[in-house]
Amino acid sequence: MAYYQATKDPTTDIRERTYVPELLHGLAVTIRHFMRNLFFPRDTNTDVLNRTGTSQITTVSYPEEQVTYPPGYRGLHRLVPREDGKPRCVACYLCATICPAQCIHIEAGEYETTDASADSRVIEKYPTSFVIDELRCIVCGLCVEACPKDAIRMDTGRHTPSEYTRSGFVWDIPRLLEGPPVNHPSDPWLKRPGSERPAHAHLEKHARIGEGLVPLKLPRPAHPVRTEVTSGPVPVTKFLRD
Amino acid sequence: MNRTLKILSVAILLVPGVLFGISWAQYRVGGWLAESCPVFHTQLQLCDTGGTSLAWVSALLFHMLLFVMVLATLLTVAERKWSAFTQDRIGPERARIGPAWMRKHSFGGLPHVAADALKMIFKENTRPKAADRDRILFWLGPVLAFAPVFALAAVIPFGPTVPVNGYAISAQVANPNFGLLYVLAIASLAVYGTSLAGWASNSKFALLGGVRAASQMISYEVALGLSLVGMMVAFSTVQLPVLIGSAAAGTGQAQYLWQGSVLGLDFGVPAWGIFLQPLGFLLFFTAAFAETKRAPFDVPEGESEIIGYFLEYSGMKFGTFMISEFIEVVVLSALITAIFLGGWHLGFAGDVALAQGLGKSHPVLYGAFCGAVFAMKVVFLCWFQLIVRWTFPRFRYDQIMTLGWKVLLPLGLFNLFASAALVLLDPSLHWLAVAGLLEIAVLAGLTLTRKAPKSGSGHEAAGHGTPDVHALPAAAASAHH
Ligand code: SF4
Ligand code: SF4
Repeated sequence: MAYYQATKDPTTDIRERTYVPELLHGLAVTIRHFMRNLFFPRDTNTDVLNRTGTSQITTVSYPEEQVTYPPGYRGLHRLVPREDGKPRCVACYLCATICPAQCIHIEAGEYETTDASADSRVIEKYPTSFVIDELRCIVCGLCVEACPKDAIRMDTGRHTPSEYTRSGFVWDIPRLLEGPPVNHPSDPWLKRPGSERPAHAHLEKHARIGEGLVPLKLPRPAHPVRTEVTSGPVPVTKFLRD
Repeated sequence: MNRTLKILSVAILLVPGVLFGISWAQYRVGGWLAESCPVFHTQLQLCDTGGTSLAWVSALLFHMLLFVMVLATLLTVAERKWSAFTQDRIGPERARIGPAWMRKHSFGGLPHVAADALKMIFKENTRPKAADRDRILFWLGPVLAFAPVFALAAVIPFGPTVPVNGYAISAQVANPNFGLLYVLAIASLAVYGTSLAGWASNSKFALLGGVRAASQMISYEVALGLSLVGMMVAFSTVQLPVLIGSAAAGTGQAQYLWQGSVLGLDFGVPAWGIFLQPLGFLLFFTAAFAETKRAPFDVPEGESEIIGYFLEYSGMKFGTFMISEFIEVVVLSALITAIFLGGWHLGFAGDVALAQGLGKSHPVLYGAFCGAVFAMKVVFLCWFQLIVRWTFPRFRYDQIMTLGWKVLLPLGLFNLFASAALVLLDPSLHWLAVAGLLEIAVLAGLTLTRKAPKSGSGHEAAGHGTPDVHALPAAAASAHH
């Protein structure tokens, strides 16, 4: 595309001095764009730079056309489940402590000995409430780095969906807990009586986060469980699950 | 190809068809009104209308309320849509109405008109506390901004005067014998609205906008008037229908200066204002932009710095300011059409034959055809004004004043004296046309002879064989040699 470069000295060139010829040239440029974009269909290739066609429109019409994210994109948090569907999280508060935006709120609890899942008491602590305010989150990923249990990950490849209320962005365990369960050979969980994995497995090399990762392509549950407060200011602590 | 065909069919069939329909209905309703209220009717007068019958009501309904208002409303969306196209965007298309099959299409963003109107009407109408003191003036602001612009459309002939049911029906609300002077007088009234709005808002930004609007008006109103005097001199009239003339009688802008005939159709150089007075056209067009307060002369609004005289207005009051701006665009387009672009005449291809044939046998159809031609020219000029608005950078305030007082005004005076002398020398307007065509040729020559440098092929292409070192940074220039 040959864009006009103003190389002539505007103080001497008669076309610049009289102004109108240059204006007409400018008009020619805009009219050319106008006609091309008006009369010809838009190329919907989401790879904008490789669009061909007469129309020069560069818009990506978002919800219908979506630019594929780069391979390094991580996305929204999820709480990683164990094989029995409970979160791997042991409520150690490391993520909440490191979070620069202070948007993680955790309340810890203890598995009851009388619980049906008493055998899970190889790990005693678990979060009774785990809340992330996705509006405050700056998506720095420090919580993922801090977690000693690989219990929180950012590997969903989704970004935060839009909501109508602020409280809708406060995600709790039912919304966060998703995806395929993850086991590491060294997990105490695997040392419980009746585990299918041998107890000595913890001597094996520790798996790295993201190793053998299957990208999540799960649709969201049709009606995500969430707690909403519709009146008054919405401090994070109001969204604790009861 | 599908899109191309759709757009072309809208531009070539739908729009002219609708405009033809409006014009046709106006003549029919006008004829019916004249017939049913004979009290107001005096006699069949083809040249002088307006007061003879109630037919002006039909012109008010169909041309002012329907054509001008609806076109101005559509322009609010067209501005956004067309600016998007010049800037390689899509523009508004998300407002969808109607049943499911309709929601699949964006209809070129047209539902946004309804959405905007609803929003404007139902928005809270606030008034700042500081404006309480001048609440009447505050309320008068939008009214005074809207009324004069709308009233301008009253003297614009949207079509020829044709006999319907034995009555002369014109497409003009009023045809006073001071036609153009009415335009100049009323057009300058609009500034009271903007100044009052700026003053009564009791806000410094709004006041700045109002003052800017007033001073801009003062510097451009002169050029606006002067640029038209040449045309008044050439045709010795200030009445718009007389300026446009009639193809059958060969008067006004419908006459041919040099005529030829191809295949029985008449061709030639018509005495259009743009050929007789290209300089006047340019001046008027420039001043018209200043009059509409749109870019490149949008300092009274100055969205980027002071927001403008309507800063404190909300809801439909703001909507009134906005719509009056677009009405002004339409009305000025209609004025330019009538004064410089030959009104409802095609200017070629059987204009005379059509007037003598269809004009005699089916006067209403001929009138409607002419009305459609006029309206299409208006639509084109509206489009052109919008394109200009999205092309040119805006002027700095002192540049606007310089342009108004030191360029437009002297040029207007020069144009007036030169034209008057040429008309005096040759009342048949041929010398004036030669001068006008020369001006166009010089402008075209200057525009077409510009040598744009080929991108990537160095700077020799720009100058006359010598590298233009001024334009290059030192390092690049030395690397160049
Ligand atoms: S990504 Fe950063 S800001 Fe977001 S929850 Fe984790 S640590 Fe906090
Ligand atoms: S997610 Fe990880 S870091 Fe955060 S509390 Fe649970 S185990 Fe600790």
